[in-house]
Amino acid sequence: MSIVRDIASVAKGMSITFKEMFEPTQVENYPDGPGPMHGAQFEERFRGQHVLQRDENGLEKCVACFLCAAACPANCIYIEAAENTAEQRISSAERYAKVYNIDYNRCIFCGYCVEACPTDAITHGHGFELASLNATSLVMRKEQLLTAMPAQPTTPTLPK
Amino acid sequence: MTTEAPMKAPTIFSSELAARFDKLVALYPARRSALIPMLLYAQDEQGYVTDAAIEEIARRIGITPLDVRNVLSYYSLLRTKPVGKYHVQVCTNISCMLRGGQELFEHCKEHLGIGHKETTPDGVFSLEEVECIGACSWAPAVQVNYDFHDNLTADAMDAVLDQYRKQAGK
Amino acid sequence: MADVTLTVDGKKITAPAGTLLIDACRKAGIEIPAFCYYPGLSLQAACRMCVVRIEKIPKLQTACTTPVAEGMIVATDTDEIKQSRKAMLQLVLANHPLDCPVCDAGGECELQDMTFKYGAADSNFVDVKNHREEQQWSPVVYFDRPRCILCYRCVRVCGEGMDVWALGVQNRGVSSVIAPNGGDHLDCEECGMCIDICPVGALTSDTYRYKTRPWEMTHVSTICTHCGDGCKTTLGLRSSSDGMEIIRGDNRDKSGINGDFLCVKGRYAFDFANHKDRLTQPLLRNAEGKLVPASWEEALTFAGQRLHEIRDTRGGEQIGVIGSNRATNEESYLLQKFARSVLGTNNIDHHRTADYVSFAKALAGQEQRAASLREAETAPAILLIGGDPTEQHPMLAWNLRTNVRHNRARIYVVNHQEIKLRRQATSFLKISAENYSAFTRFLAGEENSIFGAEATALRETLATEPNLLVIFGSELRGAAIEALVRYGLSLPDTKFACLGDYVNSRGAADMGLYPDMLPGYVPVQQPGAFATEYGERFPAAPGLDLPSMLDVAARGNLAALYVVGSNPVHRYGVAAASLKNTFLIVQDMFLTETALLADVVLPIANLYEKAGTVTNTYGDLQLVRKAADRAGVRTDLELIVRLADTMGADVHALVPFGQGTRADMGQSRGAQSGEADRHAVWLAAQNLEPKLSPFDPSALLDEIQRLIPSYSFSRLELFAGNDQHVQATSKNNALVQISNLSQRPDGVLPSMDTLFTSGTMGRYSSKLTEVHDSRNKEILVAAN
Repeated sequence: MSIVRDIASVAKGMSITFKEMFEPTQVENYPDGPGPMHGAQFEERFRGQHVLQRDENGLEKCVACFLCAAACPANCIYIEAAENTAEQRISSAERYAKVYNIDYNRCIFCGYCVEACPTDAITHGHGFELASLNATSLVMRKEQLLTAMPAQPTTPTLPK
Repeated sequence: MTTEAPMKAPTIFSSELAARFDKLVALYPARRSALIPMLLYAQDEQGYVTDAAIEEIARRIGITPLDVRNVLSYYSLLRTKPVGKYHVQVCTNISCMLRGGQELFEHCKEHLGIGHKETTPDGVFSLEEVECIGACSWAPAVQVNYDFHDNLTADAMDAVLDQYRKQAGK
Repeated sequence: MADVTLTVDGKKITAPAGTLLIDACRKAGIEIPAFCYYPGLSLQAACRMCVVRIEKIPKLQTACTTPVAEGMIVATDTDEIKQSRKAMLQLVLANHPLDCPVCDAGGECELQDMTFKYGAADSNFVDVKNHREEQQWSPVVYFDRPRCILCYRCVRVCGEGMDVWALGVQNRGVSSVIAPNGGDHLDCEECGMCIDICPVGALTSDTYRYKTRPWEMTHVSTICTHCGDGCKTTLGLRSSSDGMEIIRGDNRDKSGINGDFLCVKGRYAFDFANHKDRLTQPLLRNAEGKLVPASWEEALTFAGQRLHEIRDTRGGEQIGVIGSNRATNEESYLLQKFARSVLGTNNIDHHRTADYVSFAKALAGQEQRAASLREAETAPAILLIGGDPTEQHPMLAWNLRTNVRHNRARIYVVNHQEIKLRRQATSFLKISAENYSAFTRFLAGEENSIFGAEATALRETLATEPNLLVIFGSELRGAAIEALVRYGLSLPDTKFACLGDYVNSRGAADMGLYPDMLPGYVPVQQPGAFATEYGERFPAAPGLDLPSMLDVAARGNLAALYVVGSNPVHRYGVAAASLKNTFLIVQDMFLTETALLADVVLPIANLYEKAGTVTNTYGDLQLVRKAADRAGVRTDLELIVRLADTMGADVHALVPFGQGTRADMGQSRGAQSGEADRHAVWLAAQNLEPKLSPFDPSALLDEIQRLIPSYSFSRLELFAGNDQHVQATSKNNALVQISNLSQRPDGVLPSMDTLFTSGTMGRYSSKLTEVHDSRNKEILVAAN
């Protein structure tokens, strides 16, 4: 009696399997999919590797206020501040981040840093291919996080 | 802060004024009470309060020049820049405003070709918009140096200014 | 004064009559916000944040200007008051820039805190804010005008507190602005009090500007390494590639002996620690006569072996040791113990900046006669003979000014210069520089025609002063100190203070860095307990003092000289050639004039990089906590012990370590870190901490306490970070007669430092040098 019941349940299970084999694929075909994302699809709000933004003049938005580092629960942001000079202007305020490191060994992608940022300088990008065989390569420097310079920086027009 | 006895130093003021200052600083229980009258008299003699006057007044009272500047900058009737020979002060406070003080001020600007706190190129006139000068009963009123002119209209103002311009050459 | 009882928010509180309502409320735990009110300064009532409702008074009243009265009924927490505070904050914020992310005060800003607590997120003011460029007023002070909320704290602290009057308020109404006395710059003492007291980020300091944020730093309170007042300074630290770097010095918790005060040196002159010329490797002189880097092992072995060889072949009397004014008590004690028990020499001295020996002798047998620095703020009358506290003891000067302001203290100044403190003085008597000694005898009653009626009047006034505090500078030495103290003791309840120059000058003296004095001013000839303590090498006869050592060295008869944190070649003007026959070991932070001549140079940690205790010139013992860290340097304590070890000495006999292992090793420690800290304080106070390391200064502190009876203090208080006053001598060693004192040369060489210099170390502080140079430039310009 029990043998019959067992066979029946296997048959029931396998029937679902065989039925699904002929349905269209539901999963993302990453990494074999087409395009630069290799088939990965994202929601806009996906929290991936951070991007440090620039303002409309190409200056860095980050003013090294350390609020992201203070908000970070994983303590993965390291900043060294420096002062802008007349000759070398990096950000639009008095101070800029000379060093800005995020340690992706520790980052938990919670987004608190983005929330804390008073100048919208740090944002989450969609970069997610962060796996590495070398942990040191996961400490990303400012140069790796900064968004590219705009091709044509617009010169600011001062009010007369 | 201790007040030290003022040194007998050469004065930049006339001997009459210097003597008056000597009397003033001894007049009040606290020496610095003499500060405002001293600044006013110094301005009357020299046209405005010069840096040298600030130094000397500070020395006479025994306070720092910064203390003198703190008080000096508080009062709008004390000046640290030269004005014209005739300093035209047009009142635009409430009574005068209701009786056309504002228009009178605009008229003066046009007539003299200068704005608020400016001086004509020949140095004869300077213009300033001031608050109440205590002549509300005869508004609108204008004070030129220490002389009052009241119940003014645009024409009457022109006459007053022409009168002064005539005197200026003398 | 009689107490009055009033009701605040339905709670009955009692306060002495005359207390301000704001103080009474705060004491009772009722918070009243205020920007302009600052305890100890004059009242301003400018910010209107402290308004409260007092029954039967029609309008809201400022709690900071209202004294308490019997039966007063006060409300501090009604909707009306909340609305009023919110409106005041909106007005304050009307032109305040929202640059908190870059503002130095962000995170420790009173306006931020108040807005968070009482303010509103929105504002009714929509007009464009009035921007002004930031101005640099001096090498240390920057002013950002739009951030200023016009509380006038800076103006008052500069004028009333510092007696400098460099800041003022100009214009009126909305265009009011804080203005410096130089027009566009400040002519002042650069104390930085205005920056410290600023509730917002309007005044910022050059050393800290835009460097980091307050919560990013670790804060360690330790003792300033400069003058003899020994103020507590809180160092803000950040990890750097080679240790912990000092980013700022300030007076964060105001818990030290200095209260609100800190001068330019305590605040900004920490940067010598980060100087580029700092030595981080031992140097050995090679065959070509050049100093080349060596390993610690090489350098210490070489130095130890040479010292061993010299001691055994030429005797301890051919070795000299020079100690430091900036080393801790433990290090100074260890150094003299090392000299006496390992090197077998009494040739030990330091750069003496005051005659503490005569002071100790004069006070022998007396109890509680040496005054603490704190007493300068409370004593009803002070006699200040010699010295210039404004320049050399800024904290003492601050206390004296505060005392005059708050308690109407009477200060009698006697000096050969017109020192600035005469402006607070009840009387100022000018005498010539060579007449100090004669003046002390004159005070005691000896008639002298060189002193006129003014001096006689002063003497008569002083005779009527009970509780006189006598403070004297290094102009007074030997017999003059004795005469002065004898005179003082003839008046009722007189106390004394002797002014020396560096942070641990007094400690060096107390610890026996003298050729003829052992720790606690015990003469070498009557060593008492020390005879057995210091072993068989301890010589019976007094040794050479510092100038004699240098003379003997010049004659080629000093085989070795061990200099610890001192620069005698520069200070005493020694010719380079005179040390060529001497094996010279120098421990210092930099290649000083002395270190350049050395055979072995050992790089050391400064006072900010080690732990221990220091005694200020008044005898206030304070704890030094390790704050900064620099790779490659060692503490003096460690180096002395290691040197003794390489010489084959018994390290256990030198440092009594490993004896406190009764310690609770942490079994009972709680999980919370705060609990563990409290536990550590308790352990330390009970003398239970594990003393397992030969480099542990507290093991030496045990020995100091055991052998110097006057060093009796509460360990609990000390390790909790409080100052503990110790006397120069105790009643117990009053019987020891210092017989040959009258012939004894005092050997005092005052450092003549000003507010902007600090011996050799001051030259390596870039900020101090910058301030000093800019001041000199101004004087030159003024002269022309």
